[in-house]
Amino acid sequence: MKTRSGVAIMLLTVCGALAACANAQMSGAQSSTVQPFGPSSVTEGKAMPYANMPPAAAPYAGFKKPYQEWYVEPNSLEYDGAARSEPDGDLATLTAINLGFLGPLDAENEDSLYGIPMLHGAQLAVDDGNSNGGYKGKPFALKVHDDLPLWGASSMAIVDMRFQDQAWAMIGSVDSSSTHIELRATLKLEMPIMDTATNDPTVTETAIPWLMHNFPDDRQQGYALADYIFLQRKLKRIGILQVNNRYGRAGKEVFADTARRIGHQPVVEVWYAASTKDFSSQLHTLEASRIDGLVIWGNAAQAGLVLKQMRSLGMQEPVFGSSRICYPDVVKIAGAAAEGLVTVSATDPTRSDPRWQTFRQRYMDRFHAEPDAYAAYAYDGTTMLMAAINKAGLNRGRIMDALREYEMKGYVGVGGNAYFDYTLNNIAPVTFAEIRDGKFVYWPEQRTDWKVTRAAYTR
Amino acid sequence: MTMRAWIMRRVLVAAGCLFAAMVSGNAQSAIQTPALYTRWTNYTPANGFPAGEVFCVTVDGGRVWAGTTHGLVMLEDGLVKKVFTQKDGLAGRAVMSVAVDPENGDVWVGTFGGLSRYSGGKFTNYTNMTSGLANDLVYGVAVQGQNVWVATGAGVNRLDTRTGSWSIFNETNAPFAEPWGYGISVSKEKIYFAVWGGGVLSYDLAKQTWKPFNDPDGEMELVLYRNQGLIHNIVSSVSYNESTKTFWASTYFGLSGYDGRNWHNYLTKDSGLASNFINAVHSRGDEVWASTQGGLSELDTRTNTWVSYRRDAKTGHGEILVTHADGSKERIATQTSVAHTYILNTDFQGDDIWVATAQGLSHGMRAVNKEHGK
Repeated sequence: MKTRSGVAIMLLTVCGALAACANAQMSGAQSSTVQPFGPSSVTEGKAMPYANMPPAAAPYAGFKKPYQEWYVEPNSLEYDGAARSEPDGDLATLTAINLGFLGPLDAENEDSLYGIPMLHGAQLAVDDGNSNGGYKGKPFALKVHDDLPLWGASSMAIVDMRFQDQAWAMIGSVDSSSTHIELRATLKLEMPIMDTATNDPTVTETAIPWLMHNFPDDRQQGYALADYIFLQRKLKRIGILQVNNRYGRAGKEVFADTARRIGHQPVVEVWYAASTKDFSSQLHTLEASRIDGLVIWGNAAQAGLVLKQMRSLGMQEPVFGSSRICYPDVVKIAGAAAEGLVTVSATDPTRSDPRWQTFRQRYMDRFHAEPDAYAAYAYDGTTMLMAAINKAGLNRGRIMDALREYEMKGYVGVGGNAYFDYTLNNIAPVTFAEIRDGKFVYWPEQRTDWKVTRAAYTR
Repeated sequence: MTMRAWIMRRVLVAAGCLFAAMVSGNAQSAIQTPALYTRWTNYTPANGFPAGEVFCVTVDGGRVWAGTTHGLVMLEDGLVKKVFTQKDGLAGRAVMSVAVDPENGDVWVGTFGGLSRYSGGKFTNYTNMTSGLANDLVYGVAVQGQNVWVATGAGVNRLDTRTGSWSIFNETNAPFAEPWGYGISVSKEKIYFAVWGGGVLSYDLAKQTWKPFNDPDGEMELVLYRNQGLIHNIVSSVSYNESTKTFWASTYFGLSGYDGRNWHNYLTKDSGLASNFINAVHSRGDEVWASTQGGLSELDTRTNTWVSYRRDAKTGHGEILVTHADGSKERIATQTSVAHTYILNTDFQGDDIWVATAQGLSHGMRAVNKEHGK
């Protein structure tokens, strides 16, 4: 408990400091009840609601206390299996301590935009781990597998990692379908997964104890956007434009559900195919719906086109977006039309803390590119994984136990301050970004004191 | 009679009735305890069985097939006869499911590496690259007439063994909320599928129509009402019971049964279920067997009595916990026990039970329990 309180106080202090810095930068209307956001146990000293969800955003919040609530108590991830009693790996017979890596790497795959930085972040972490002696003098090594875009095509990757690569744990992936498939397989194969890149909040909602997730997910992004748009900016008629893939479909769900529960049912939801270049059909639908703001759940390149075409049609409504839109491509494509765009961001790349700055410089030196959130969380996740191996030894059950020690604890990494709940999901506050004068300006999430209303009576 | 005497008499009568009810209740619950499995033989590396997890077990007359991390094990007359591996032609190393064709004795094997057919002493393999198999992660397999049904990581397959033609069912042509097939149960009229993240699907063989059964509260993080419908969408297996006309679905969030009219849901907090994380379910007669990560649980639906089996990891002895319908509990120690408390699957050989565990295969035999009347 002492440790937990210590981390809590530390997190609160960090959040408070970040919020204070951000207040000077904040644009738009701010409610007087807006507060720096941190896990509520920090400030309230009581059990945390699942995923630190605002009370008004809980399903059926005003209607009925559920018969059973999951993930809100210690040992939410039960494990009485035999993995801990498996014989430890024989160090003498190993030339390296293998870690599996699954990520989209083929340039033809649009998700390689995230997969390649993810691999680079993991490689940098492995380099650092080996500089520190590896595991008992043996180097860590990544066994890299490309996550193919075709459904299920990468499903055998974890089997190969477990039986051919003799990996002790794996990192990946960006695609939530692939991650779910690996997750199902690892329940049988019993190999820890450090997922550093998917936005899908359901990967930690399966009760399978073998996965840890450190990338800020769509649940946290959805709560943050709903708070900002409806309670801080006071907008009422929001339209949603989503890419028609699993990322878009699943991603916008928490935002849409939360909007409805606080009395702001989105007035229209339209989708586009990932290859769309002409958005006139979608924009006419949005315009006809008399929206006063638009939320895009998709990628930066398409959001850039949407903004450009939207402004040329004379639509001046404010636009908000998910974290994958927070990329330079959106400015490159939309130009001046991108001004005022507000997105969630998985990290703040402009922060000055030495941990991030050192990582940034070393990453640029080696890979000749700016690191992004995927690089940062892969670095952090891989570092945590190697630390877990160093602590637990070459036993997959005990490695997972070592990762589970992060339950309800924080981790300060290059990606920012993570905080893990009972499902081992990072529920730390997210970051906001706004394009001003062609550049992203960042500030930490603030959250309003949400009240349960009649709108929250239904799901 | 004075008022005081009248009140005293009523109090005594009420107390007498309460005592009689308690005695009667205890006596009744003792009578209603199902027959217990108190004698266990375990198969581990000590008697030639592969080390590690046993994912599935299938009884085939006098034979028993077990799927393990290290291949497919065949037991005959209580002895390990053969361990089939990829060197013998098996499609994958880890074996998730086994089904035997009652017509010809062919053995169908679902592996992490494809589907294998063991016939005439040889393996024939079906993979994503060489056949119509939807995905090489095969979790479930079942035989229905001339068709073999396969649950894979990317949908469900039907292989017509007479024509060799494959059909695939997924989110594009059937109401799969997610295409992740996990388990299959065959009845005379319908095939039931456990869909991970997508609830239970039934397929009507005559009408060729699908019916989904999903968690009605629609949320991963809660159960709104106890008997609301399917308790959770992450379904790990399904078992149709012809005698009770009920299908049972195991989830990682409790047990659900549907008799065509009502749902019967169970969590550890309202029953004798050993754990809410259930790897598989098997129902026959009045019995429902849940293979949970915290032990093997049996629900006797006739008496609403639960019996859970665990192994004491320190002593290796067994512990049986009986939870009666009135909530009272009995704890019984046994000399032998299941090989491990983490249970993955079960099957029956007459009255005997075979149990796949995280560390070996177990064969359980019923005690002749005079005290309990069975």
